[in-house]
Amino acid sequence: MSESGVRRMIAKLSRMLSEKQISCVELTKAYLDAIEKENNKLHAYITVTPETALNTARAVDARIAAGETLRPLEGIPMTLKDNLSTAGIETTCASKMLQGYRPIYDATVWKLLREQNAVLLGKTNMDEFAMGSSCETSYFGGSVNPHNTGHVAGGSSGGVASAVAGNLAAYGLGSDTGGSIRQPASFCGIVGLKPTYGAVSRYGLIAYASSLDQIGPITTCVEDAALVFDAIAQYDPMDSTSQGKQSSALPALQNDICGMKIGVPNEYFEGLSDEVTASMNEAMRAYESMGAQIVRFPLAPLKYALPVYYILACAEAASNLGRYDGIRYGYRAENYNTIHEMICKTRSEGFGKEVQRRILLGNYVLSSGYYEAYYRKAQNLRGAIVKGFDEAFASCDVVMAPTVPMTAFPCGRTHSDPTEDYLTDICTVPINIAGLPAVSVPCGFDGKGLPIGMQLIGPRFQEAQVLNAAYAFERETGEKSFQAVKMGVQI
Amino acid sequence: MKYELVAGLETHIELSTKTKIFCGCTTEFGSEPNTHCCPICTGMPGTLPKLNRAVVNFAIKAGLATHCEIAPVAKMDRKNYVYPDLPKAYQISEFDKPLCQNGYIELESGRRIRITRIHIEEDAGKLVHQRGDTYVDYNRGGVPLIEVVTEPDIRSIDEAREYVEKLQLIMKYIGVSDCKMQEGSLRCDVNVSVRPEGSEKLGTRAEIKNMNSFTFMTKAMQYEFDRQVDLVESGEQVVQETRRFDDATGTTEGMRSKEDAQDYRYFREPDLVSIVTTPEQVEELRGQLPELPDAKYARYVGEYGLPPADASLLVKYRRVAEFFDEAANGLQTPKTVANLILGQIFRRMPTDEEKEACNLLISAGMLRELALLLESGKMKMNLAKSTLDTMLDTGKPVGELVSEGDLAGVDEDALYKICAEMVAANPNAVADYRAGKEKAVKALIGGVMKATKGKADATQAEAILIELIHKA
Amino acid sequence: MVTREEIKNIALLSKLYVPEEELDTLTKDMQGIIAFADTIQAADVGDTGFDNINNLSNVFREDVVVPSYDRDLILKNVEGGEDGCFLVRKRG
Repeated sequence: MSESGVRRMIAKLSRMLSEKQISCVELTKAYLDAIEKENNKLHAYITVTPETALNTARAVDARIAAGETLRPLEGIPMTLKDNLSTAGIETTCASKMLQGYRPIYDATVWKLLREQNAVLLGKTNMDEFAMGSSCETSYFGGSVNPHNTGHVAGGSSGGVASAVAGNLAAYGLGSDTGGSIRQPASFCGIVGLKPTYGAVSRYGLIAYASSLDQIGPITTCVEDAALVFDAIAQYDPMDSTSQGKQSSALPALQNDICGMKIGVPNEYFEGLSDEVTASMNEAMRAYESMGAQIVRFPLAPLKYALPVYYILACAEAASNLGRYDGIRYGYRAENYNTIHEMICKTRSEGFGKEVQRRILLGNYVLSSGYYEAYYRKAQNLRGAIVKGFDEAFASCDVVMAPTVPMTAFPCGRTHSDPTEDYLTDICTVPINIAGLPAVSVPCGFDGKGLPIGMQLIGPRFQEAQVLNAAYAFERETGEKSFQAVKMGVQI
Repeated sequence: MKYELVAGLETHIELSTKTKIFCGCTTEFGSEPNTHCCPICTGMPGTLPKLNRAVVNFAIKAGLATHCEIAPVAKMDRKNYVYPDLPKAYQISEFDKPLCQNGYIELESGRRIRITRIHIEEDAGKLVHQRGDTYVDYNRGGVPLIEVVTEPDIRSIDEAREYVEKLQLIMKYIGVSDCKMQEGSLRCDVNVSVRPEGSEKLGTRAEIKNMNSFTFMTKAMQYEFDRQVDLVESGEQVVQETRRFDDATGTTEGMRSKEDAQDYRYFREPDLVSIVTTPEQVEELRGQLPELPDAKYARYVGEYGLPPADASLLVKYRRVAEFFDEAANGLQTPKTVANLILGQIFRRMPTDEEKEACNLLISAGMLRELALLLESGKMKMNLAKSTLDTMLDTGKPVGELVSEGDLAGVDEDALYKICAEMVAANPNAVADYRAGKEKAVKALIGGVMKATKGKADATQAEAILIELIHKA
Repeated sequence: MVTREEIKNIALLSKLYVPEEELDTLTKDMQGIIAFADTIQAADVGDTGFDNINNLSNVFREDVVVPSYDRDLILKNVEGGEDGCFLVRKRG
């Protein structure tokens, strides 16, 4: 296997740093300059943190000068989605509600990366409170697609995907509740991993839907996703649902996939655009040529995944977002007579329309008289979807599916029916419902040159297996599936 | 027509764990506002709760001490409501799978007040009103509570009071709470309804919230009973609602407002996992329970032969009862020890708080030494009492206050000798006595007491003196 | 179908203020969203006993005090706090 077929960004930068081809300060400045130049086009960053970045870079250079061995992510310029808490650094969730809010503690993932001297370039754009699939619900205006700035970057982690695809960060961390890492990664032609629920600590991730949220990496290649996953998937005593990883992903990437059984659920191939279907068929052929076996089967409970997701996610969100009352942090309305009025005005003025709609739906399905028909039933259907995937994994090693039924849509698309936008998430939400690990990897382009992505999904805590399957595909298909955008920092 | 009061109680008890229910902040009471806070208990975005193991253990102990069944699987739920003292806008509580269910507390009459459930939850912060402005202090936010809910089994204000007192005592005994009503660590909500005496049907109830003293509870229940009887008598309906007791007017009033749409939208707390308790764990916790008040009382009356009133008094204060148990352990005459405690010792701690604390300079072992001297007849009661007083003043053991010589000095032979000397030395007094002036012997007794430095038994001395006068 | 009044009530529960003139549009939006959620009513599913995704139980912390945060830090994101408290409401 030729080394040249392998895409890598982080390892390459790390070698350049340790071999002193470039200093960390120089590298960091290159990224900061690129952000300065290109961010007004992409709207990827909400907050840029040059001081934090350069302080870390200087510390890294000192360690290099002292002959210390660099840790895997040390000195690598990166970004965090703006719903990951960073002590002293504004964390807005792309909402008016949290404009100016500076957390007083670090999210566990940031603590882990900070301890490795990761260079934080800034905080990136997203759909408000991670509610959306286009990044356009951001209070600060949506992030756009580096492949074509007339199209959306996707969402909700659109800013991270836009920054990484646009070479304004080497990698970033996003969060994925119903597809928010994988969908923008797919739209922007890069790699996004949603780990198993519980693999990565949620402590410090500003919650959208607690039982579905997971933090994961958005990177330019599979190897980087494995590197970052290995760094952040650690058991955390601060998160009761945290378990850490079962095994490291990076060492598994060399495993042969010959004989691997790849499951293809029929339900996943309904309602796709022709180009996405063609791309998926080609991917299946590529896998078969590598000796993998394609297994088709039905996965009936998938039919209800989308409404189940919206019911459960909105119920949890309605509760999670109740705390924004203007008293302890964030936006506070000015004119009011009673406490009740202050809180209502704060929330109505501070939250955008989509957030308000989801809060209303969430409270509706939880309210007395409706709980059984919606929340309880959705919970039971969740159990059925979990069981469906468990059964599927009895007959295959990984499941393959498109990430999104279509490619990135044009900016400013509007619908008379808000639920039409929800259809974008149809392929990604079942994975969150079942708590499974899934990676989106680029697998081609549509006629307009917009990237297409596919998901590889594994049993719980089998990130290594999932990433290995993705890695084999990436190495096999090379430039057919991935093209770097000519902007930002060119390494 | 005569009416009967029907009441059920919901009692919130703050647990005396060292830390809050979901974070490591201290639960200490009475500090500067917002100094016992962290991102978790102030509900900062992104924070997550982590359940304190001690809270679960304390709640299970509370359940076992009130004859509850312990749930093999319990879970926590969110109770959603927006109020400034609740920083997450939901209270983490238990809805349909509480830790403990189906227990009871038995009243002195033998009637059992059934306990529906005991669940764990977090306390809210406190609103502070200053110069017309409203502030909030979250020190109390996240302090662990158990809520003990009864069936509507209570039939009078006295029963309500007795139930709460018993509950309070049990919780203090098992060490899960100090149950200080004045500090708000025990608060009651009372559901009150009325019905014609003899009727089996329950009337519509009103809930009176947050009473933190027996006086308030008594007044509020009485007012509410009268109010509801008036309504029923005049043909009106009692409305099911939440009411607040106003101490200033001695009345209750409805708390309902338009803004207060009561729908808590309970659902499973996704940030916490299930609580599984095995029978082995339950037995281990049961093994850690001390002897409970009812059992202690029965032992004092049955085995020790204490009068019921005395037994009640000792049992009422956990530390006093423990002190008594240690001092009386293995003695033939526990009753003597009980009397010393209820007499000499209680005199020194007039208030409930002092008895509660039972802070004494002497140990139970020291009282036991004194009691042993009494039991063996080496010391008489008079001397024992005065010695105990000195012990309580100085903290010195009996051995340092009363020498062998002192004890020997009141020995019967020695006393006989001293009395004989006294009779011989006071012919006048003897003559007076013989002439019928019985009081004359008092002077002789005084002489004996003086000679024995007050350590002789006066009654015994008098008997000996009279015997000697008659003999002479 | 969800009514205007129900939406008003849910908005109250959600502590959201909906101006009277926006209520019709919102009701229409919510009707669409709820109709979408209603598609699960067609599913035939019994109690699947779903609890939490990884079936975890008994994750506890020990009862050991961790120093609290400095009060200035706790109050860092607000203005108008007095005597170490969060302001809820100014007089009048």
